[in-house]
Order: sequence, then structure tokens, then C-alpha cells
Amino acid sequence: MTAPVLELRNVTKTYGTFTAVDDLSLSVPAGCVHGFLGPNGAGKTTSLRMILEIIRPTSGTITLLGSPSALAVRGRIGYLPEEKGLYKKMKAWAIIAYFATLKGMGHRAAKARAFELLERYGLKDFAEAKTEALSKGMGQKVQVLAAIAHDPEFVILDEPFSGLDPVNQTVMEDIITDLRKRGRTVIFSTHVMAHAERLCDRLAIIAKGRKLFDGTPAEARETLPRRVRIQTADDIAPLRSLPEVADLLPMADGGCEVELRHGADAQAVLQACFAHGIRLRTFRFDEPTLHDVFVKLVGPDAKEAMYR
Amino acid sequence: MRPAFLIAWREFAENAKTKGFWLGLLLFPAIITASIQIPVLLEKKGTPTRRFVMVDAGGGFAPLLREKLAADETRRQEEALRDFARGGAREEAFAGFLDPTDKQLDLARWRAARGADWLEVPGFKPPAPRFAESPLPDDIAADARPDDAARRLRPWLRGERKLSVDGKEAPLFAAVLIPADLAELAQGDGSKGRRGIQYWSENLADVALPQLVENTVNAELRRRGYTAHGLDPATVQAIERTRAPMTSLDPKKAEGEEAVGLADRIRQWLPSAFVYLLWVAIFAIAQILLTSVIEERSNRIIEVLLSSVTPGELMVGKLLGIASIGLTMLTVWIGSLVVIVVWKASGISPAQAAAAGGMAQLPGDVATILRTTWLLPAFGMYFLLGFLFYSGLILALGSTCNTLKEAQSFMGVIVLFLMVPLMLMTYIPRDPNGPLATALSWFPPYTPFVMMNRVTADPPMRDVVGTLVLMVVATAGVLWGAGKIFRMGILRTGQPPRLLELFRWLRS
Repeated sequence: MTAPVLELRNVTKTYGTFTAVDDLSLSVPAGCVHGFLGPNGAGKTTSLRMILEIIRPTSGTITLLGSPSALAVRGRIGYLPEEKGLYKKMKAWAIIAYFATLKGMGHRAAKARAFELLERYGLKDFAEAKTEALSKGMGQKVQVLAAIAHDPEFVILDEPFSGLDPVNQTVMEDIITDLRKRGRTVIFSTHVMAHAERLCDRLAIIAKGRKLFDGTPAEARETLPRRVRIQTADDIAPLRSLPEVADLLPMADGGCEVELRHGADAQAVLQACFAHGIRLRTFRFDEPTLHDVFVKLVGPDAKEAMYR
Repeated sequence: MRPAFLIAWREFAENAKTKGFWLGLLLFPAIITASIQIPVLLEKKGTPTRRFVMVDAGGGFAPLLREKLAADETRRQEEALRDFARGGAREEAFAGFLDPTDKQLDLARWRAARGADWLEVPGFKPPAPRFAESPLPDDIAADARPDDAARRLRPWLRGERKLSVDGKEAPLFAAVLIPADLAELAQGDGSKGRRGIQYWSENLADVALPQLVENTVNAELRRRGYTAHGLDPATVQAIERTRAPMTSLDPKKAEGEEAVGLADRIRQWLPSAFVYLLWVAIFAIAQILLTSVIEERSNRIIEVLLSSVTPGELMVGKLLGIASIGLTMLTVWIGSLVVIVVWKASGISPAQAAAAGGMAQLPGDVATILRTTWLLPAFGMYFLLGFLFYSGLILALGSTCNTLKEAQSFMGVIVLFLMVPLMLMTYIPRDPNGPLATALSWFPPYTPFVMMNRVTADPPMRDVVGTLVLMVVATAGVLWGAGKIFRMGILRTGQPPRLLELFRWLRS
């Protein structure tokens, strides 16, 4: 994790009276997989497009790979847009090679690279197929391969997992993991927390155009108080007086959640239970998930994302 | 500029792969060749001899018709023999009768020398007669009334019964029925509502036979009329041939060359053909361009493209690629036209051209005009300007519409607008330097079409240069505006922008 390859400073984008992105600052170090999380309409796509200089911010500055203009370094960037589409009549390899040549690769090298990528990610048999004959998932994989065919240093994937079945989602995760292994920087947006959980070195959560969190997944989890879940027939009131315990929250099923103070050790609760003769049927200590963090931060807006 | 060329190349290659492109490319020369060659081929292969029967109740016309048909056949045989002789396959057989320079057979001498055997040349097969009279079926009298004869002939005419010719079955093609009282029927306007000569045939498209019958019978009736009035038919014929000569002259041409010939008429009308070509080309290309922009827009490929190239490069690439598709198509079209014309022109000897009348000169004249006028270079230039002008409009339109359907309604306006030069195409050549033509020349959207139409009519230099400058400026303006709208519109989602918004984009 060295110097940032992407730096957004106080970036704002307004359309008339509507503010799509509000004072966003972000720093992405090199070689990092960075998640961009937020509910629909949070401003993820707008932010990514501004990073690519497809649209210009209303105010603020963006530095990408040391350049104030993404166009100047466009040969070193790969991009998968949110809405996926390909030229229907072109063959899979030809599309990958075409986008690679637009990024500056030679024709022959681009073609060889296209076949190599298709083979590596299980699409060898479809290399000569016209893209209109491919399934949605296959088409999407072809498009990702087209985005990374020129071996870019910086890859932007907008909702790379949407519309993929679980098997293909795994392939997509492999692609991202491979990129990281090769020292590339990846920034991807999603509203499915499981992918972020598995892949991200860092993540940013935004909603309504504002950044709510920016940091590592561990840091994200720490924003939530940790809880211990216990079930017992005995009185648990004595636990309340422990210095580690912030609150006791009775649950609908008769159990109880013990909310710990920041930095407290769950072990103390267990010891206290023994000391007070509380017979435990269940004692479960879970790390909060990114999903919990997301729901907590985004609040009511997260509802939509949760059901997807 | 490399990205623009890459985009242009993809645009060209992908379009060149479509079936539609090849169909369009080959269809045009195929149609022209076919329209020239098919009649020739049909003539050569010959339709099978068509059998007809004749009932001449009065008896005065049948011998004349037979004589006339025989004369026609002889002419066809002579023509065939002449072609055969010129072909040079059996030159020794015609020794002494061929013109050494143009290989024309001296038919009069040849027939005089060979007598009845004039068609007997080794290797020569005289053409089968076009029409042959068959004897009437047994139960029809030679002087039957037309209606009776027709009723009895129906099974043959409908193909239910066949004639027997040399032991083989042959269909009856037609029946010519002439009533005995034809002369009275023809008097004054008494022919109204009466049938007169009846020509029965399932094939009403082949008019050779009915025309021959009609002309011959009428000529004979008139001849009888002259005789009845004590006039000498030969004298009348001589008088009827009287014709005062008349020549159209063009004051603009050099002294001694003022006569307006076929070449001048072609010169006047050939530009119209080019205007039409221009129109078709711009129109076809506009469709390709629109489809291409909307495809990229609707499936959001545009975003990937714009992360790799600038909107300017994208636009230039698209225009270049699709213009080269159009130019390829036009080059092939015009090239094939020229090749066909030159090829046809080279196969016709001056003597033959003179014999066949003006039409045979046509290919030669067209070739000369294409070689000696500014038509082709002007066409190239006006095509480029017209293409850029209209594709700018289409590009701007395509970049603001989400679907082809949405764009089509706007396209309708452009089409309607483009109809005007098409409709004026026949009018302008009549008065190529008149007020209407001049005024329309100065209206950039119509400049390429109207000026193209005027190009061979020596328009004033002021019009040529002025409209050209105006057109270049207008095209540049349209492309500049299209670039602005393209940049803004191409990424926009949702409803197409309103007019007011477009103006704001232009000013931004």
C-alpha cells in the first residue's frame, strides 16, 4: 500500500438543483481492491464516470495515476460500465481485441491476448461466437475481459456482479483476485456486501452522494459495537453492572443481546456469567458483518439494497 | 488520430460484413447488366415459335398478313446472318462479301449471288421463326364468324387441347379473327362498341403479333379507301412521307456545332441520374449511421468507448468509417456503370449504330460525357459535402435518442426535407440556370443536389464558387454543432432533450 493512484478531493457533481455527488474525497492506494458500496442512486456510477472523465465534476479535483485528466492516461485504465452491452454482430475475441487496440495495443498482440483471456476464464469455445449468441453471463464476462485485455494498471468495475449466477460470480471474484495478485488497482461498486467482504482491502460507503465511511473492512466493523448473544432461563440483570457492558437488549425469542463497550473483551461477559451462576444455553460472539455496518450507516435507504 | 482510424476501420469492416452491404453493392450493377443483357439473351435463345390460327371470314387480309410476317422473319434472318458474319467464325465462307474494315456483310450482293441458298452457311443456324400459322382445327370453317370460331377455339386457347405440329404437341398461342364486315365496321367512328378484329391470347404482354395485325389490316383498309376514291395509293404514300425538317439549336455552342443531338440531351439528363444516386447514397448511409449510433448508445458501449477515446475522435471515426462504406458503394456503382457502358459502346460499329438509330449511340455518348465533363469530380465533391452535412444532423439526432423508434420520428422530418430535391430533379434540368434552380442552389441543405443537377449546364461561376463556399461553411457549422450535441447527448439517459435544451448545449 503505497502512494495513492487515485485521489478525489471535494468532488461535487450537480445536475440543476439535484446533487448527485456531494463533496466526495477519496484516496485509493496502489495495488488495492477498493469497494464502492452504496444503495441505488447513491452516486456510485456518477463518481466512477467522473473518475474516467466521461463527465466532468462541477467542482473539486480528481487525480488518477498522477494525471489530472483520465483521458491522458486512458491507455492504463480499464472500465466495465454498469449497463452491459456489446456489439451484437461481432465475435467475442474480436470485441476484446478491438477495445484493446483502442487502448493502444497492436492488432496482433491484442488478438493473441483475447484468445489467451478467453481460454483462461473458460470461454475458449465461444471465442468465435457472435456476442448475440452468448448468454447474459457470458457476455458480461467477455466485457470484463475486454476491459482488462490491455493489462491496465487501474481497473474500474461498475457493478461487476449484477446479473451473474453464483458460478459466474465466483469467476468474477477470481478475475478481481488475479488482478490484485498482479499488483493492479481495482475499484468496484456493488451493493452486495458479501462480495465486498471477501474481496475488499478498503471500502467506501456512500449514500445520497455523501461518503459515510472510508477505510478497511476491519475499521468498518469497528464502527459497530460488538454484541454477544446469550440464551438462558436465569436472571441476567447482574451483567448490566459490568464495566464492559454498554446495554442489554432483550430479544423476541427470550434470548438477549449484550452490547459491549468499544474495545471490551467478550471473555469478561462469559466469566461474569459463571461468577453469577447464570446457566447458558447459548453463548455466541459474532463479529459484526459489513452488512450490519451498511444497514447502520445507510439506514432506511439500505432497505432497497437489502432485498436485492 | 489513431483511435479515430480504429473506430473508422471497425465501422467499415463490420458494415462490410453485412449481407445488406453486399446485396446493395452487387444489386445495382446486376440490375443494369440484366436490363441490357436479358433482352439480348432472350432474342438469342429465342422464345419457342408461337403458333397462331387465323380466321379471315372476308378473305382479303390473311394473305397480306402472311406476307408481312414472312418479310419480318426474313429481316430477322438477315440480322442474324449479319451478326454471324461479323463474329468472324467463318470468314472464309463470306469471302468477297465482307467489308474489310468493319466486317459488315454486303447482304444485297450476298443474296443475289447465293439465291435461295443464302442462309446455307456451315455453322450458321437461322433463328426459329417467332410466329407460325397453324391450320384451323377441322370443325372450324375458314370463313366462320369470329364469335363462333372463338367459342370453338377456346379449349385450344386455354391450353386444354394442343395442336399437333410435326407429330408433336404444341400449345396454341393466339387466334386472330377477322369478321367479314370489317370494312363497314371501320367506317367513320362506327367501330365504337363493336369488336372488329378479335385477338385472343392468354399472353397479352407480347404485343408484336396484335400490332402487326392491326397495322397491316389498317394499311390495307386505307389503301382500299384511296383506290375507291380514285386516288393512286402510291401517290398517297409518297405524300404521307412528306415531312418538313426541324432542328433544335443551342446558341451557346460554337458555330457549326449548334445542332442539339442525343449527346446534348444526355448531357442535360445524366446529372439527374447522379442526383438520384447521391440521394440514394446519402439516404442509405444516414440509416447505417443512425443505427450504429443508437446501437452504441442503447447498449451503453458508448461508455467504454468514451473511457478510451474522446467524443471528437469517436465522431470523426464514425463519420470516416461510414463515409468510406458509402464511397465504396458509390465507386462500385459508378465504376460498374462506366465499365458496362464502355463495354457496350465498344461492341457497336458506327454503321450499326446508324442503322439502329439514336439509342445505340447512348453508351458511347455517355462514355464521352463522363470523360469530358466535370460530372464525376463534381459528384465526388458534392457527395462528400452532402454526406457530411446530413450525417452531422443524423449524428446529433442519434445521440439524443434512446431507441431507433424514437429516432425514426425525427428521421421522418429529414426524409420529408430530402424529398424536395428529389421532386425537383426532373424540373431543374429543364431550366438549369433559372430563378428556382439558382435560389435553391444557395440553400445549403439542397446545394449538393441542385448544383449537381446544374453541373453540365455551365452555371455562372458566381453560383459555383459561392454556393460551394456557403456549403462548406454550413457543413462545418453543422459538424461543429453536432459535435457539441453528440458530446452532451451521447451519455444522457431517459427522455430525449427538448429543443430548448439543445440550444443550451450548443451555446455551452
